Amino acid sequence: MGEIYKVPVGPIHIALEEPVYFKVNVHGETVENVDILSGFVHRGMEALVLRRNYLQNMIVTERTCSLCSNNHPFTYIMAVEKIAGVRIPERAEYLRVIADEVKRAASHLFNVSMLAHLVGFHSLMTQTMETREVLQDVKESIWGNRMDLGANTIGGVKYDLDKDQIKYLLGKLISLKKPVRELAAIYRDNRIVRARTEGVGVLTKEDALRLGVVGPTARGSGVDNDIRKAYPYAAYSKLDWDVVLEDGCDVRARALVRLKEVFQAIDLVEQCLSKLPEGPVALQGYPRIPAGEGVARTEAPRGELFFYVKSDGSSKPERMKWRVPTYLNWEALKVMMPGNKIADISVIFNSIDPCISCTER
Amino acid sequence: MAGFFKIAIRNFLNGPTTDPYPFGETFTPEKYKGIIAYDPELCIGCSTCEYVCPSGAIKVTEKDDGTGVRFVFWLNTCSFCGNCGYYCPTDAVYNSNDFHTARHQSEKFIPTIDDDISYVRCKRCEQKIKAPVEALLIRAYDEITEEVRHQTSLCPDCRRQEQFERM
Repeated sequence: MGEIYKVPVGPIHIALEEPVYFKVNVHGETVENVDILSGFVHRGMEALVLRRNYLQNMIVTERTCSLCSNNHPFTYIMAVEKIAGVRIPERAEYLRVIADEVKRAASHLFNVSMLAHLVGFHSLMTQTMETREVLQDVKESIWGNRMDLGANTIGGVKYDLDKDQIKYLLGKLISLKKPVRELAAIYRDNRIVRARTEGVGVLTKEDALRLGVVGPTARGSGVDNDIRKAYPYAAYSKLDWDVVLEDGCDVRARALVRLKEVFQAIDLVEQCLSKLPEGPVALQGYPRIPAGEGVARTEAPRGELFFYVKSDGSSKPERMKWRVPTYLNWEALKVMMPGNKIADISVIFNSIDPCISCTER
Repeated sequence: MAGFFKIAIRNFLNGPTTDPYPFGETFTPEKYKGIIAYDPELCIGCSTCEYVCPSGAIKVTEKDDGTGVRFVFWLNTCSFCGNCGYYCPTDAVYNSNDFHTARHQSEKFIPTIDDDISYVRCKRCEQKIKAPVEALLIRAYDEITEEVRHQTSLCPDCRRQEQFERM
């Protein structure tokens, strides 16, 4: 005893969903400290978008990441709309929220199912994925793709909902409530899931504030920093909802935040559908984008997403920069991991809902 | 464990949830963004689809012999985003809901769609112009009169000339 061993985890590792390399110093079975190396899925997207026009970039940004693929073009488009100085129709604001919340629910269910996979409860994982499949069908039927919805466009949205589709969407979401409630109870109370998640990967509220973590990672530590509430965009200020907070500070608290946000997302979509105003869904024609700068931020499923767009008046952006939630959250891993067992590394890593392909772009 | 046991028994009684495709029917939504379809009858050769396509799967070029416009689509480059269909002014390009993307090896290096539209001659000066498309005329004019038909069969220069002569 007393000796410290170095254990490499990743970049290609069976338990990690995405390529990132942890250099872990262990003392026996216990993690002493961890060093994170990244850069395995860098695609040069920030350079790529400079070679494409504003309309092409709506799709390029969407391909940054599949799980928060609605938020990337959404935020980008908001920034461009700020430069162009256009206001989108009211109906489009609601439709944007609907697309966003359906994606959020699907993303959160995916993350908790990965949690079940990592704690070795595979039947729970498949069942959660099966439940999520309802949302995939919804996305495929209303937007045409299972992941990349292509819902937003500069000056509005690309889709509209008629009576039948509203009925279909509502029916599917209501049918989702019972199975998700059933699954949430298992995540909350099951002995095995609790043993693997309770008290694991603790991030205290002080640390969460110090490190500036965002999204469900912060809300699991009791930090209220939901952009949808703090700086409302689209139709969020017109809806009635509260930020989900948990004070467990551990992996379980983060999973519970996500599960509660699934219900919240369903509720928000229901509210949007009942309040949906009549009118056009997009502006006529394509707005001129003058020289200027714009920033926008939204609450992606993983946390705050920030976009900076600089235009020189041509058809292509001069500079684009985006900061994704995982960039802030993975610093917290260095606080969460020490003191836990080697087997918990992947569980803790999953609890920040990492998106390496977003972060490295 | 009791919680999950209930679900497991229910799953057992309900049977498989997957579709028996390809041996049975599967669910393909009407709005599904599948392989691009192209209708040269409606195309005006405006290149909007090429401009908005993020992956460069569509190329609209002048034909080598100068008799028309060539529309080329490469399936393997397409990302099924639906931008072309959304921005197409005449709905000549759209996503069909065909999801069968497998192709023979022999078709690997030939475009999936290779079609062209021919120019017509201006009635006055015989210059080559793009033929007017019915779908666009219906959108542009309340009523398509003989006058509209005549005007659209002329090249822009002749149209201007004729308007001046009338004044």
